[in-house]
Amino acid sequence: MARAFGIINSSANYLHVEGLQTYRPIGAFSFAGRYRVIDFPISNMSNSGIDRILVYVRENPRSLTEHIRSAGTYNINSKRGHIQILFAEATSSSDIYNTDIAAFMENLSIIERLPFPYVVIAPSYMVYAQNYQALLDQHIESGADISLLYQRVTDAKDNMYLNCDYLTLNRQKGVESIDRNRGTAKERNIFMDTYVMKRELFIELVRKAVSISSVFTLSNIVNNQCSELDVRAVPHRGYFAPINSFKTYYDANIELLDIDRANELFEEDWPIYTVTSDSCPTHYFEGASVRNSMVSNGCIVKGTIENSIVGRGVRIEEGAVVKNSILQAHSVIGKGIHVDYEVIDKWAEIRHVDEIIGTPENPGYVKREDII
Amino acid sequence: MQNNMMAMILAGGRGSRLRALTKKMAKPAVHFGGKYRIIDFPLSNCANSGIDVVGVLTQYESVLLNSYASQGRLWGLDSKGSGVYVLPPREKADANLDVYRGTADAISQNIDFIDSYDPEYLLILSGDHIYKMNYAKMLAYHKEHSADCTIAVIPVPMSEACRFGIMNTDEEKRITEFEEKPAQPKSNLASMGIYIFNWKLLRRMLTADMKDPESSHDFGKDIIPKLLADDKRLFAYEFTGYWKDVGTIDSLWEANMDLLDEKNALNLSDPTWRIYTEDVNTLPQYISPDAEVDRAYISEGCIVRGKVQNSVLFTNSTVEDGAQVIDTVLMPGSTVKSGAVVTRAIVGESVTVGANVTVGSKNSENIELVAKNVKGDE
Repeated sequence: MARAFGIINSSANYLHVEGLQTYRPIGAFSFAGRYRVIDFPISNMSNSGIDRILVYVRENPRSLTEHIRSAGTYNINSKRGHIQILFAEATSSSDIYNTDIAAFMENLSIIERLPFPYVVIAPSYMVYAQNYQALLDQHIESGADISLLYQRVTDAKDNMYLNCDYLTLNRQKGVESIDRNRGTAKERNIFMDTYVMKRELFIELVRKAVSISSVFTLSNIVNNQCSELDVRAVPHRGYFAPINSFKTYYDANIELLDIDRANELFEEDWPIYTVTSDSCPTHYFEGASVRNSMVSNGCIVKGTIENSIVGRGVRIEEGAVVKNSILQAHSVIGKGIHVDYEVIDKWAEIRHVDEIIGTPENPGYVKREDII
Repeated sequence: MQNNMMAMILAGGRGSRLRALTKKMAKPAVHFGGKYRIIDFPLSNCANSGIDVVGVLTQYESVLLNSYASQGRLWGLDSKGSGVYVLPPREKADANLDVYRGTADAISQNIDFIDSYDPEYLLILSGDHIYKMNYAKMLAYHKEHSADCTIAVIPVPMSEACRFGIMNTDEEKRITEFEEKPAQPKSNLASMGIYIFNWKLLRRMLTADMKDPESSHDFGKDIIPKLLADDKRLFAYEFTGYWKDVGTIDSLWEANMDLLDEKNALNLSDPTWRIYTEDVNTLPQYISPDAEVDRAYISEGCIVRGKVQNSVLFTNSTVEDGAQVIDTVLMPGSTVKSGAVVTRAIVGESVTVGANVTVGSKNSENIELVAKNVKGDE
């Protein structure tokens, strides 16, 4: 059993992903066809031997609670382990007060009672694979108060990393500050919103944050304490995708069509778990054509698919052409319809138009259960 | 226990005509339909029919089957009071350790297990068959006819009736005669090996049968004829859907190929009657920029870089660049290396067909079984 429990943090109140987030928190977004974003942090924890996990949800809890209905899905021991979902009761009329710190404060007594000396905090809105046991070992060995996970990027002006935080480091990988990335420099140490520290220190920081400012977040208070505490940065290598805008959601998915890139995330000895839907294999009919695509089970394919990610139970009818798109579960593309650069949300049906076409810079979006 | 009925699945069959596929596992564990095992069908049927206590009688090469079938949660058969119980032969205080001598004996040797649930009805199933059936409807039929025993039957072409156990019935579908593989069949209703018995009656019959030195301890050969001789009420329950007993490599191949037909009667995509199976942690299937997929049934985790035509690809199988897979079934985890051509074949689980090798042929009479790695160009 790990010496740490896990916290999976909800996305910040200043992030909003157009369209998709109307229906569910970022953690519940479908990813790589058959997964949801939150499968990655939970699987990382499970694979690291962390079997007591608190998941914080800020808004629209339905799809997330439905998805995480059983800890068994994530190979978490049914007696010793437990995934607990904590809803932030948005008591405040203004969203600026609905911070992660406010959510932690609400249920602080739960954390105070947990019999683990350490906590690993990971975001529900970023996709990466990481062994938290290794991170914890390194943290303990270093003697640091707090360890933060980051990725060095050379394209920090890119959309992908806007609205992420970045770390300013001294030569010894000590963290001097945490700031919002506004795209003003190319090279940045992008903070992966992942923390390791003692549980006691975490509780102390939460209380301190509240006493300083009602709108402080966890990263604000850690930034505030950088000079007082020994805060160190630990580099991460390999696949990393923060899902913090519609465009990053689109790009991160499409990027997986580079199968070598995808394999950085899906390593054989590091399974990513998700809920099974017991759908049958996918059926390709005469006249179907599929290239450079990732297709989930349960689909009926009679048309053409290129450069696309297709969720479970999708139906692509005769003569339909789908390119550069993300089709979420149970969507339908009717006969002869062209779809290019689109994200089609769950259960949507494209039936009455000839084409629906976005651009690489601005992929389109079709709402959940919409019929067009 | 729901409906006062429990099920016992006869899963000891060797399936020797499936050759190398059943060398190390019993026939019910054989893979079918891109992601399933054959025994998923009776188990899912039970789960979907509201039967929540299921015994699985295993015997031949049972290690894999026992560990598989004992995971009741795979079929949702894991709530309190529910379960899948694997029952291989065992040593008992008052009898020698003995193999199951026949289908009836397998039940007889587990009378104590069945008694512990005290069911009113017992459903007997075969672990070898591929079909979807609502056993709750069959039980309702059984009760409606105040039957002592109800046997599911399927109409077969008259010309083929001589290959089956045939039930001759009166107008009310009461069984008047049972003929095993009759030379001159009088009816085309073939027994599916699915029985509902009133447990008290069957229990008496089995107790007597165990002591009968002349008996072969078989439902078809001994128990059913005895019930008819005793003038018990036996009724035929007619089933008209898809049903297959895949006894040979050719018929296993054919049953998989049936799924490529859009109107296939098995319809595995019916959301109201799902077939459940073991979950895997793999990416969706990946079809590369140079791949060609034409009429195929492909499961999760497959990687297709070559050509796939009229074929079924099980979970985690791989078709490399320039390889061709035609009229073929690739079992889980199998690989066809680059440039290889596989035609009219079943490639076994985790088997690799080496680069630039040709296996099987378009006009072969029988389906090629590739059960061992085939060495190709290095």
